[in-house]
Amino acid sequence: MSLRVARDGTDVLVGDWPSHPERTALLEARGALLAWDVPTDDAVPAARIHDAARAADWLWEVYGAAADGILGDSDAVEIGAGDWRVRDACRVVAHLGWAEAWWPASAAAGVPALDPVLLLAERAVATCDVEHLLDDEDAAVRALAAVTADPAVDGLSARLAVLAEDYGVVVPQVVRSSRAEYALAAGDTVGGGGVTVHSGTDAVDWALVPSGAVDAAAEARWAVVRNGGSTFLDVTVPAGPRPDVRLAARFGQVDIALDRTDGLGWHTGRTPVPPTVLLLPPAERRLTVYAPDFAVPERDPDPDAPARRAAIIDYARSRPDSPTATLTERLAGRR
Amino acid sequence: MSTARAAGKATPRGLLVDRAWSALGESVAPLSNEAGRPLARTVKLVLDPLVLRPVLHPEFAAGAVAAEHAEALCERIVRAGPVLAATAAWFLVLKKERRRAGITDGNPQDLYFQRCYELATAHGDPRLDPSATDRAAGVLAEVHGQDGPTLAGLRRFVADPGNAAGLTRLLDAEWTAGAEPPGPESVRPGDFLATCATDPDPGLFDALVADRAGTRGAVGLAEPGVALAHGLSDRDRPVRPELGETAAKQNLPKPFDRSIVERLFVPLSNAHRDALEDVPALVRKEIARCARPWQLADEAGRVVMVLGREAAAGLAGDSRSDAAARLRARWEREAYVRRVLRMPSAVPEGVRADVHGVRQAYLRRLWVRTHGRELRRDTVPVDGLWDVLDGVLRSVILDQRDRLRSALERRAVG
Repeated sequence: MSLRVARDGTDVLVGDWPSHPERTALLEARGALLAWDVPTDDAVPAARIHDAARAADWLWEVYGAAADGILGDSDAVEIGAGDWRVRDACRVVAHLGWAEAWWPASAAAGVPALDPVLLLAERAVATCDVEHLLDDEDAAVRALAAVTADPAVDGLSARLAVLAEDYGVVVPQVVRSSRAEYALAAGDTVGGGGVTVHSGTDAVDWALVPSGAVDAAAEARWAVVRNGGSTFLDVTVPAGPRPDVRLAARFGQVDIALDRTDGLGWHTGRTPVPPTVLLLPPAERRLTVYAPDFAVPERDPDPDAPARRAAIIDYARSRPDSPTATLTERLAGRR
Repeated sequence: MSTARAAGKATPRGLLVDRAWSALGESVAPLSNEAGRPLARTVKLVLDPLVLRPVLHPEFAAGAVAAEHAEALCERIVRAGPVLAATAAWFLVLKKERRRAGITDGNPQDLYFQRCYELATAHGDPRLDPSATDRAAGVLAEVHGQDGPTLAGLRRFVADPGNAAGLTRLLDAEWTAGAEPPGPESVRPGDFLATCATDPDPGLFDALVADRAGTRGAVGLAEPGVALAHGLSDRDRPVRPELGETAAKQNLPKPFDRSIVERLFVPLSNAHRDALEDVPALVRKEIARCARPWQLADEAGRVVMVLGREAAAGLAGDSRSDAAARLRARWEREAYVRRVLRMPSAVPEGVRADVHGVRQAYLRRLWVRTHGRELRRDTVPVDGLWDVLDGVLRSVILDQRDRLRSALERRAVG
């Protein structure tokens, strides 16, 4: 395949940089960032080289002979065949970093949650294979120390044990973490009683909540309800595999704490509102869910976001059966 | 900027090392990773300082190797094959012995790689050495049953009524003796920072030391609010430290607010205690040190603080030198990396100071490292100075990530 090479001041840019953080599998290497555009499933990363002298030492492991042209003055390079074991391990580390941040676990869309214990273990093992080109020279020890328990997977567990010993890290034994199993939800769960006067749904912006807090594909519902002469706003958000996060929602100028849990374990909240809430122009009748300790909902909605999220969800749904998938993805929902 | 290209037909050193390394085959597997490459610490602790030795052979320095030296570099590694194979075998023996002794402290690669090379040089292959196990046990005893001063010894020394009064008097005397003011500036720290990342000039660094640039740069620190703005104190003006009695690793005060005992606490809990002096000397020198400019004893360390302060000005946007621009670039990259890693964008109250005061956190960490190096009588190599200045920022950034993550997890639970 062919990659463009562009130079911007002291930086060298190789290939097409992923267009959005949600699609980006990133590796912080010595003297350069490497990035894979996740949904395209390309094996060859883009690079942004900020210190050519440092990067020269390992760049050939990622681009082979093309590294010469990249650090020279070529404006396009051809990547041929070669021994890509190191590059592939780099990709595993980056890809699992992406999965930890953005994996769109969703009962609604049928994307199983990843096992966090397995993810950290697989990433630690891959990190040890590429530590020589990473920016953080203690990355291997850091990744091994982050492993919360033995993943109990043949082969991986043994490798992990050897590496932990080599780096002097003690991996806690067994203690399988409890994983959220999805109950398939049905029916309208909004409401603490009353007559629904108006309702709607809005997607959740992933960047406003921590990974796994909400179902990545399901929409948040709002309803304006009349009950006993008062008007209320009810909000419900389907929970994800790690729902223990304080959530809130904003609707027009109204802030609602989603501090209750319904029978399905979903985040819900109700707050009294003036009846004039029904007079809001449609553009402001928009529900924004966010985690107050995590992000502030100040962004205008991104018109590209729904399509982007749908592409990532499709991609994730295909992963358990993909030959390029990590062990963590292949075993998602199967253990 | 790329020295790799400047040399024309040069080859990245990493590529040559890998080529030579793969010729050594299975015998060096314990020093290699899964892809058959030498481990990072194999390069850093064995190949670099003991086999290639760029101090004596500058043509083998990291970066690019000129075509006419490529062959020689590979040959050097291949010729070291037998001793490297023996080093690898000794590493296995040491690991086995470590397991048997139930030792879990420290990173075995850091602690044993160079010892293994020494054993390999002196005794060859451990499989042919009937006393290999005993030798390995001896090395472990040396590495782990460290000599040197201890925390308990420090506590006993300062608590002894026979010492305490004298030490406090010494502290008073040192603290009231003023420092000799430096003359006018003749060398600018910025000149060193201009090339420090690419081609550091040892002559310029020595000139800064001779010019007492570090002492000069400490002049304002006693003025109201200055040490505070540096992140080195929580007080408006630093006061004379207490002698102190004890310390806890968590919640140590800012460097200038630490007692004498607290200042010695971290170095005494580290792996390299054996490089320290005995307790009485350590305490007396710390008492003298705390009254000197930057509360450091050596001019070289003070110059490092001044260089760090100028470079870190880049974090607030003032990137006049190449070093400052590079630190600035790292900090800007971090904002992007955090978005990609889906880190919190609203900084919670509890960690706000840690995350926003990056310059202060930078100077604080640089001081702690410089201070620790003084105690170990370990000088900063001028060509490694950029790694120190850049590494401090990386370490501050990684710490901030940990804090953001754990703050999020704590709130999730609480």
